[in-house]
Amino acid sequence: MAEQISRRTFIKAGVAVGAAVAAGTYFEWQGNNIPAAVQKGTALYDVLIIGSGGAGMRAALEAAKDKNIKVAIMTKLIPTRSATTMAQGGMNGCTGVTDSKDTPESHAFDTVKGGDYLCDQDAVEYFAENAGKIIYEMDYYGYPYHRQEDGSFHQRKMGGSSHARAAYYADESGLATVHTLFEQCLEQNVEMISECQMLEIVVKDEKLSGVIAVDMRSGNIVSVPAKTVIVATGGYGRAYWIRTTNPYSSTGDGIAACLNIGVPFKDPEMVQFHPTGLAINGVLLSESSRSEGAYLLNKNGERFMKKYAPDKMELATRDIVARSIETEISEGRGIGEGLNAAVYLDFRHIPKEIIKERLGQVYDLSLRFEGVDITEKPVPIRCSCHYSMGGIDVIDYKTCATKVPGVFAAGECSCVSIHGANRLGANSLSEVLMFGKTAGIGAPAYAKKVGYVGDKEALNAALAKWNKTFEEVTARTSGPRVVELRDKMAASMWFKAGVYREENQLQEGLKEIDDLIKEYKICYVGDASRNYNTAFMNYIELGNLLLVSKAIIMGAIARKESRGGHSRKDFPKRDDKNFLKHTIISKVGDEFKTEYRDVVITKFKPAERTY
Amino acid sequence: MAITLNIHRTVADKKWVQEYKVELKKGMTILEALNEIKAMQDPTLSFTASCRSSICGACAVRVNGNAELACEVLVEDLVKRYKSETLTVEPLGNFKVLRDLIVDWDPKFDRMKKIKPSLHPKKEFSPEKGCKQSIADFKKYDEYAGCILCGACVSECNKSTVDEKDFLDPFTFVKAAKLVLDSRSRDPKEHLQAVIDAGLWKCMKCQECTANCPKGLKPAEAIEKLHEATFKLGLTSSVGANHAKALYDDIYNTGRLDESKLSIQSEGLVAAALRAPFAMRLMKTGKLDPFEKVPVNPEINKIRDILKNAKEAE
Ligand SMILES: Cc1cc2nc3c(=O)[nH]c(=O)nc-3n(C[C@H](O)[C@H](O)[C@H](O)COP(=O)(O)OP(=O)(O)OC[C@H]3O[C@@H](n4cnc5c(N)ncnc54)[C@H](O)[C@@H]3O)c2cc1C
Ligand code: SF4
Ligand code: SF4
Ligand code: FES
Repeated sequence: MAEQISRRTFIKAGVAVGAAVAAGTYFEWQGNNIPAAVQKGTALYDVLIIGSGGAGMRAALEAAKDKNIKVAIMTKLIPTRSATTMAQGGMNGCTGVTDSKDTPESHAFDTVKGGDYLCDQDAVEYFAENAGKIIYEMDYYGYPYHRQEDGSFHQRKMGGSSHARAAYYADESGLATVHTLFEQCLEQNVEMISECQMLEIVVKDEKLSGVIAVDMRSGNIVSVPAKTVIVATGGYGRAYWIRTTNPYSSTGDGIAACLNIGVPFKDPEMVQFHPTGLAINGVLLSESSRSEGAYLLNKNGERFMKKYAPDKMELATRDIVARSIETEISEGRGIGEGLNAAVYLDFRHIPKEIIKERLGQVYDLSLRFEGVDITEKPVPIRCSCHYSMGGIDVIDYKTCATKVPGVFAAGECSCVSIHGANRLGANSLSEVLMFGKTAGIGAPAYAKKVGYVGDKEALNAALAKWNKTFEEVTARTSGPRVVELRDKMAASMWFKAGVYREENQLQEGLKEIDDLIKEYKICYVGDASRNYNTAFMNYIELGNLLLVSKAIIMGAIARKESRGGHSRKDFPKRDDKNFLKHTIISKVGDEFKTEYRDVVITKFKPAERTY
Repeated sequence: MAITLNIHRTVADKKWVQEYKVELKKGMTILEALNEIKAMQDPTLSFTASCRSSICGACAVRVNGNAELACEVLVEDLVKRYKSETLTVEPLGNFKVLRDLIVDWDPKFDRMKKIKPSLHPKKEFSPEKGCKQSIADFKKYDEYAGCILCGACVSECNKSTVDEKDFLDPFTFVKAAKLVLDSRSRDPKEHLQAVIDAGLWKCMKCQECTANCPKGLKPAEAIEKLHEATFKLGLTSSVGANHAKALYDDIYNTGRLDESKLSIQSEGLVAAALRAPFAMRLMKTGKLDPFEKVPVNPEINKIRDILKNAKEAE
């Protein structure tokens, strides 16, 4: 076991309450960017942020504005690798610079309608009023927006939006978001606890003590005391493992950690399947493919969207397009078979210059993975799990607080709920920035008011427990392999709780996941080294995904209707009488409990959703 | 077809090369090959990856001595390119190795901090109203915003191999060029002076960074733009300016930097003597061949243009 933490700035606060030392691990401080107070063991974080995507970094920048607030971002890779980096199309916000007829109310309405009326409308209104401001702020932070004649950023129209309101950088809008925020974090000297995977949030008797994490480099388990924690760990699309557009890191870690401390998982069944994943591997072809005018064709060369959404055609919301594609395939009008069945996305009528300028990434990915030059041939595509509408139950959208005092959540891991049953294209980048900022105000305010209420004994105990777990699971010499269980999980999820769902299949899926949870307890990790043990990391992630998968299926069973991203073959209609409600899943011991909470309705009366 | 991957391994303080075999599939990237090895053969093999679509920069490794994005490059293409069914996979060069193919970014970020790496907007702009910029001004820097921080450029950078402490990483020059060329900046000098101080003139113009950038970003060209900006903005009273004069005399004719002569002209004899070990190290790493006749850089005309511009600006 490595006994030193080399070059890590980070493992600071453990010593503050003597927790790390108590567990018998010795940390040698190195690197001069460790504040002296931390080295002396007198540091304690006011705000500890888990995750360095858009939500995490935006929260940190906001919290760090107050120089008296001690903030750090913990992240399991280096800071610039996240789902945010991958966002393509843009960020929504009403500014009126490109389309002067746009209003926040229109944005709110599109969002609510797109979300099939499962959104909390008070939160959506708050979001729509503030999303435009976020775009201006990012301009000031240095975001490289595409410009229009009058010198403003340019906004384009995305699927499900009635106005042009997505500001963007090429089809790499998320890359620009991450690097703009990261530049600011570097310049503001925001502390990074990077390559450090959060394992547990420690709460005893509703009192937050801090976080337990593993430093990837040394393998040391560390405890970091904090007055508040902002969970910003991203989505859980990896439950569908290979049929997802998400990065490898979207494994629902924060959601699982929250379930374990009594914070519920809201609307877990609401996952979005993006219509245009590459048939071969699920990698996303940007939403801007459709917004720039690409056609969807079945094997007969027919633009089949005219049957399903005659007005909006290819620009209808994702869930509608996704289901249309799956229907075409199941009715025999797709190409190929089984998991590889597909339809075509056709760009040939779009000028080559536009493809080059605005769809460069789409062009590259199609060529590499499918060997198709989209200026000459249509590319085979199929649905791929893309976004997690459900997430950590946030009970106050104005602070991002959860039920457990001191624990906040923002970004894709959270459910505020803005997106309801289906997220609109380009609504997520603005959500993560806006609610990242909100949490970055809410958490420090709480930290100042309440201070540290943590329990040193509780941290010590958790630390010792994780050291033991590490030794135990990595020492196993046999058992089902982590990847084997992971692939089984993905198959169960795709076939039993995928685009279309029904009771029998869901029940089977639930049983399969329960069996996998049992097998997980004896699974084989295969690497006992403490030095950058990614096998252990994957093991932890699988455990989290299994919890998440179980919740997805339980939510899907409970929701006996079809709404947004959730389509039950046996209940094909939306049922507002019984299900204008959020599914609230909590974990009690090893059991999951399902409850409901009414959706908040303000201005927009639920109506049938047609496009 | 079975492909052999010789992977350079490091775990704690042990180092070795391990041979793995994978069956070549259509569309198989190096990353997929690594994933398959980790899943089916050896869970201890360690590497990082996140997006698998060439946008997050996590997966860059060296294959047969060249930096590549593992998730982007097809095994099939490499086999064709190197006419061999055996490939060598190593961690990126010019990074400290943490384990196997995973490298340490900390020093890179520390150096990046030196250039004041974020936009300092002009006074007329505000967080409430944002900024204004013409389409033409946007086009001056937009491609540099496409850097994914993968590290492929610095992996092959000759100057960094010799000594990285008095230099910046090529991607940091890319970032600097982005900030300096951005019309929203209130004073590009704020970044530029920092870049000069951190080694702008020490680039050896070898173009390796440009040749290796998977995003086609041309860091070496970004460095040239920063050189030009130095003259345009009148920041010439430094070693760098002498260095630039040496560039005239030296590079104008050959398009190549003769490092030994340059040091003498720019820093004087004593300083050059102090820097002799630098030349020794260059020779050792094979980057400077003392017996080589100086060939003419194919980019000579471009370099001459820059020099001309610079002279006019003076
Ligand atoms: C391919 C693709 C394209 C998209 N395009 C768009 C678009 O055009 N417009 C739009 O609005 N949205 C888009 N989205 C969605 C959007 O990118 C994400 O929803 C959003 O960026 C999520 O941001 P986040 O900050 O909440 O989480 P993420 O960006 O996922 O960040 C999560 C962070 O948490 C860290 N983390 C996770 N677990 C742990 C742990 N245990 N310990 C420590 N750290 C941890 C991760 O390393 C990461 O840094 C797209 C998503 C994908 C995948
Ligand atoms: S041109 Fe300069 S920056 Fe680029 S690789 Fe060569 S020495 Fe490094
Ligand atoms: S400049 Fe190119 S090679 Fe270098 S880090 Fe950026 S994208 Fe990678
Ligand atoms: S995995 Fe992200 S660039 Fe390769």
